Amino acid sequence: MSIPSHSDHHSERRIASQLTANAALDPEQLEVAAGTARQNVEGWVPDLATDADIRSALEEAFEYRGDVTITRKDGAKFEGYIFDRSTGDSLATSYVRLLPKDSNNRLKISYAEIAALAFTGRDTAAGKSYEAWVKKYWTKKTTGEGEASIQPDALE
Amino acid sequence: MPVPISQGWTVATYLLKQKLAGRKRYPFVLMLEPLFRCNLACAGCGKIQYPAHILKKELTPEECFKAVEECGTPMVSIPGGEPLMHSQIDKIVEGLVERKKYIYLCTNALLLKEKLHLFKPSKYLTFSVHVDGQRDHHDFSVCREGGYDQAVEGIKAAVKAGFRVTTNTTLFDGADPNSVRAHFDEMMELGVEGMMLSPGYSYDKAPDQKHFLGRARTRRLFRSILSNRKKSWKFNQSTLFLEFLMGKQHYKCTPWGMPTYNVFGWQKPCYLLQDGYADSFQELMDSTEWQNYGTESGNPQCANCMVHSGYEASAVDHTFSGLGGLWATIKSMVAGSYEDADALQMLNEPVKPVHAFNPLVQISSTESAMEETRA
Repeated sequence: MSIPSHSDHHSERRIASQLTANAALDPEQLEVAAGTARQNVEGWVPDLATDADIRSALEEAFEYRGDVTITRKDGAKFEGYIFDRSTGDSLATSYVRLLPKDSNNRLKISYAEIAALAFTGRDTAAGKSYEAWVKKYWTKKTTGEGEASIQPDALE
Repeated sequence: MPVPISQGWTVATYLLKQKLAGRKRYPFVLMLEPLFRCNLACAGCGKIQYPAHILKKELTPEECFKAVEECGTPMVSIPGGEPLMHSQIDKIVEGLVERKKYIYLCTNALLLKEKLHLFKPSKYLTFSVHVDGQRDHHDFSVCREGGYDQAVEGIKAAVKAGFRVTTNTTLFDGADPNSVRAHFDEMMELGVEGMMLSPGYSYDKAPDQKHFLGRARTRRLFRSILSNRKKSWKFNQSTLFLEFLMGKQHYKCTPWGMPTYNVFGWQKPCYLLQDGYADSFQELMDSTEWQNYGTESGNPQCANCMVHSGYEASAVDHTFSGLGGLWATIKSMVAGSYEDADALQMLNEPVKPVHAFNPLVQISSTESAMEETRA
């Protein structure tokens, strides 16, 4: 598994954004909407050295389709899904909201309280390749082998 | 619009009340997502990519009723996930019927026949069955061999049992206009009350990132499909929204028009984008920075969107915004077939539907392969 370095991570994200932004220059003339190129950040442990690092990593965590683990400065660890974030002028006024893996109690954690972040859960959007689906479909069509279907993930 | 008179009257009076009250922003249809779990994994869907503990969560009937009362709309759409997989979907529907809400339960119908006994036919309940086109097209689109046949079986059973049934069809790049028109014939022959249409939205988490229609192509596709239309086709949608898809109307997005409530709360800003959550409907309305959304905002995530959740509410608002809107609506309702010789010609243009293109035997450069998928 390849885990991007922090700088790789941002350059790839930037490329995806630029593609979309260029397409948006004249949306009325758009023939086909550019898709989004996503990278696999599963397993990534970002470096939270600066305020900018913290903001950037938590924004990525908010977009992530898997669980993350947050370690607070008091040592408490929380694993779950980040479903909301709010960014203020300072880290103290910015927060994420997380649904823990093992409870229904929503947690609100200030950016200023966060010591570490890890993308510990499986990226549920990764590996769902459209190309793989097309191949599966045509293999069944042409050879009769396999099943021309994609099943949803099992609930573990 | 083929809906019962009581529904038309309820919706019209609700909208007039909003106008008379001078409400600048008001909701039109609540999108109530009681769960994210689904029994399909469609290539173009970006709504189900969550960890298992989130997919297992369900809104309780009480949470659903509270959201419905907070929002106050006369119509409630129940998408998901697949709502028929919800353990208490019958209780949710029963409670909403008691509250005299017009419900559109959006289902892929894989479980419809088996779960039909849980529901009672009512003017308040409509099964809106997801069918993306004729058999091959639908099965390819939802990534399920036999999905079309099961959906049709479900539709037949529901129609036979006396339920209101509509279809909803999402179109992506590569859709064959002639096939879509034939699909309309097939659905009307099944006895559905009406059909709903929308171009697909470019979910950034969806497996298929190659077939999202841009606005120019969307207008061309819908013009070719919806011009020269047959009298037998009935659409369960705003006629002005259909004109918008054909390029005959121009609207700005109304992201608050179809607010979404799910296991995370009230979704900001709309049914398609997830830019955070509010804990109450009022907080959603008050704290969302609405100017940042809609194609006209320049937000790249909104660039290609012409989806009903943002624009059908705009079309309906147009209808109730004065004599001009009312006149445009009347004209669209009596327009009949929308005769258009150029659109007829467009139906003769060669198309290559995505499900009919076998990449396993294609020998070409990457560039030409991309052209093929965009043809």
